Amino acid sequence: MVEPAVLSVDGLTTEFRIAGKWHAAVRDIGFELARNETLALVGESGCGKSITALSIMGLIPKAAGRVAKGRILFEGRNLPELADDEMRKIRGDRIAMIFQEPMTSLNPVLTIGFQVAEVLRYHRDLGPGEARAQALDILDQVKIPSARDRLDDYPHQFSGGMRQRVMIAMALACQPRVLLADEPTTALDVTIQAQVLVLLAELKQRYGMSMIFISHNLGVVATIADRVAVMYAGEIVEIAPVGELFDRPTHPYTEALLRSIPRVDRTSDALVAIPGQVPPISRMPQGCRYAPRCGLKQPICERAGPPLEPVPGSGATHRARCWVRAGGTGAAA
Amino acid sequence: MLQYLVKRLLFAVPTLLAVLTVVFFIARILPGDPAQVILGEQASAEAIQALRLRLGLERPLIQQYAGFMAGALTGDWGSSMVTGRPVLGEVLNVIPYTIELTAASVILGAIIGIPLGVWSALHRNRLIDYVTRIGSLLGLSFPAFVMAIMLLLVFAIQLSWFPVISSGGSGSLGVRLQHLALPAINLGIIMAAYITRVTRSSMLEVLGEDYIRTAHAKGVPALAVVWRHSLRNALIPVVTVVGLYLGILIGNSVLTEIVFNRPGLGKLIVGALTQRDYTMLQGLMVVYTFVIVVVNLLTDLTYGMIDPRVKYQ
Amino acid sequence: MTAVAQSPDAAPPPRSAFLQLVRAFNANKTSWVGLATMAIVLLVAIFAPLLATHDPVEQNILDKLKGPSAEYILGTDSFGRDIWSRVVYGARISLWIGTVSILIAMVVGSVIGMIAGYFGGKLDILVMQAMDVLLSFPSLILGLMVVAMMGPSIGNLIFAIALTAIPPFARIARAPTVSVKERDYIEACRALGYSHPRILTVHILPNIFPEILVMGSLWLATAIRVEASLSFIGLGVRPPTPTWGSMIREGFENILDTAWLSLVPSVAILIVVFALNMIGDGLRDVVDPKLKGERGG
Repeated sequence: MVEPAVLSVDGLTTEFRIAGKWHAAVRDIGFELARNETLALVGESGCGKSITALSIMGLIPKAAGRVAKGRILFEGRNLPELADDEMRKIRGDRIAMIFQEPMTSLNPVLTIGFQVAEVLRYHRDLGPGEARAQALDILDQVKIPSARDRLDDYPHQFSGGMRQRVMIAMALACQPRVLLADEPTTALDVTIQAQVLVLLAELKQRYGMSMIFISHNLGVVATIADRVAVMYAGEIVEIAPVGELFDRPTHPYTEALLRSIPRVDRTSDALVAIPGQVPPISRMPQGCRYAPRCGLKQPICERAGPPLEPVPGSGATHRARCWVRAGGTGAAA
Repeated sequence: MLQYLVKRLLFAVPTLLAVLTVVFFIARILPGDPAQVILGEQASAEAIQALRLRLGLERPLIQQYAGFMAGALTGDWGSSMVTGRPVLGEVLNVIPYTIELTAASVILGAIIGIPLGVWSALHRNRLIDYVTRIGSLLGLSFPAFVMAIMLLLVFAIQLSWFPVISSGGSGSLGVRLQHLALPAINLGIIMAAYITRVTRSSMLEVLGEDYIRTAHAKGVPALAVVWRHSLRNALIPVVTVVGLYLGILIGNSVLTEIVFNRPGLGKLIVGALTQRDYTMLQGLMVVYTFVIVVVNLLTDLTYGMIDPRVKYQ
Repeated sequence: MTAVAQSPDAAPPPRSAFLQLVRAFNANKTSWVGLATMAIVLLVAIFAPLLATHDPVEQNILDKLKGPSAEYILGTDSFGRDIWSRVVYGARISLWIGTVSILIAMVVGSVIGMIAGYFGGKLDILVMQAMDVLLSFPSLILGLMVVAMMGPSIGNLIFAIALTAIPPFARIARAPTVSVKERDYIEACRALGYSHPRILTVHILPNIFPEILVMGSLWLATAIRVEASLSFIGLGVRPPTPTWGSMIREGFENILDTAWLSLVPSVAILIVVFALNMIGDGLRDVVDPKLKGERGG
């Protein structure tokens, strides 16, 4: 990677206060995002994918949460250190985000045209007329049919798929360098999902954006991502280029995750659910967080958490957090 | 829109009829003979019988009911049994004062209550929030006449800023406002207490909505998130509560009019009750019912202004 | 934010309505303040004969309009009656009328709501329409009408206040009944041949009880306010029985000279209504699921 990373996250730990005590919801998250790259964050719900994205956006609710440790470097600045107003200027302009629930993510009492134009008015200092003209242009680009007639419509007059297009239009209005997409297609019908994914890929290419794509759906990830980071209980347990991850899943959790999705090239009886449950964030095991559910568990796994280490036999791009399968240090124990 | 209005008014007719029916039958079912009550304990049987005839109480119930309904709907409300003047005229004379008072108190309540509720929600669980919550709870614990008496004592009697008897003021706008001030403040403070509480809880709910997170993600400044993205959504339940509060407001305006000795429907009804003026009472019931129907309609129209999802059809 | 939502610390909600109420109280300190205040007021009402220094209706014209002294703790009114003793006895009237009328409204309203919700159909529509009409009418005006027609007495006041408070209880009892009766175990009860009254009391009532109780404390505040208002207008309990509303009324007639007379009972009403609202408000936060999000974090 000759080109410097667009976004680099290092040692990110975000905590929430539960019953007066701070507990880490994500811990020691680190990754780099290259220009034009799509990195997928995958894992079960509650594993910290969304918290990671919200931490990058600086949208962790202050009353209950905080970014406790780590750096998020973007355009030469460490985002958690920025003042509220500086961070606000980055949000929606240089880094944008789209959310899972298109039905509830648009303001019901403001028109579509206003909501899209608003981004431009705050970040580009455009007057109402000019912002509206540009908003129309973006709505055309996200393929809203007869967008001109729909500028003054309200969200409830749009279908779920169309609303997600509006969300994408809002996110892309200022041509951000990084787009965070948090399960953008989960709430949509399968056919609409495919359309939205194609649209995202197309626009990403056109604008030269980098994207963090959050999903629990490995099938979707396989089609859109360049690299995949698998998260479990608030940690990245494995990170690898997409092909490598699907060919050589190393962490037992990744393996289990891949086994749990139906695939045409496998018989259905091979479909296995992962036994046990994700530990609650206030009661994390001391050692490896996956150990209680792991079939390969060794004594060391319960004593200390493994670091994210290169997988033997792969390049440095494939790393996993496992005493048994990666790093080599713990294999003998 | 016009079509909707007509339709809504037509829908209001059954409600109006139902309430009028209830009013009619409550008055008939309750024990006590109006003629007996009017003439007093010592009245002779003949006198009572004569009055019953004059009041139409000897006719079959169905006929009485039909007569009452027909009169109520055509504006023929009869004459006051005490003054002999037409009921409708009496009512129309004082109704501007009551409308003026209730409108002023709703406006005052909104001006105080909405910003306070928003402020409280934004500072949730901080000192200012607790103070506002306790203060508003105290505000709505006041019986209207208790607060009225306290205001009267302090601002009219001790400080002499306002007239002790708010006769309504018939002169210039200034005089009229001076007479309106204390009664309106009285009802306005209680109204504000209700509005503050609803605004706060509805604002808290809205602030947790996905679209508020979207607004932040777009880089909208915090102040604009509050005023443009949150408040309008938060006001939808506030409108409901203001509409529901109307019943309490009407009751409170009766008490306020008594304390400040101010003309209005409230004083009219208390006078009619103590003097057993049945025709006047029936007329006032029709007025109150009509007011409630109109306010419900206004509430619905306000929804439409705030919430684009409301369709008039 | 799913990680937060998954917080495991929340204990499973306690089953019994009583435990739920205790939890509610502990969650909000103002509830305790309200409850303590009400307990004191209740004690004052019960032990009024012991606390009163004079007969509340005994007139002593020579001592009229006296200020506070060792003999008359809060002074005397224009008939020379001891204000402290009248306020203490007034607590009895206020609490008695308020509590009885709300208990009646609670029972009648809940029964109406449960029956309407349980049997559904035309009965349901008819009953709830009637309740809506009654509800849309200003309660003070309705109370005024009823008392004026029937004559002022404690019984009639209770009837009038109960009548205005029935619709909200009917409404609040109906909604959960409708949803509970669809559940499997109610079907099972029916299959086992349990009678309708038994299903309603044993299986449905406990589900709606906490909400009814919260409503009860809030409406008790309203009832006491309405009773005082009616007394103030002159349609309350006949004099010389001491009620706070009528004491304010008598004091108000002399407001220019002796504001004191109306201020003492005013403060008494305010304390009771405020305390009841504090109880109800604290409980509502916990019982009302819509407001549940307000806590924690």
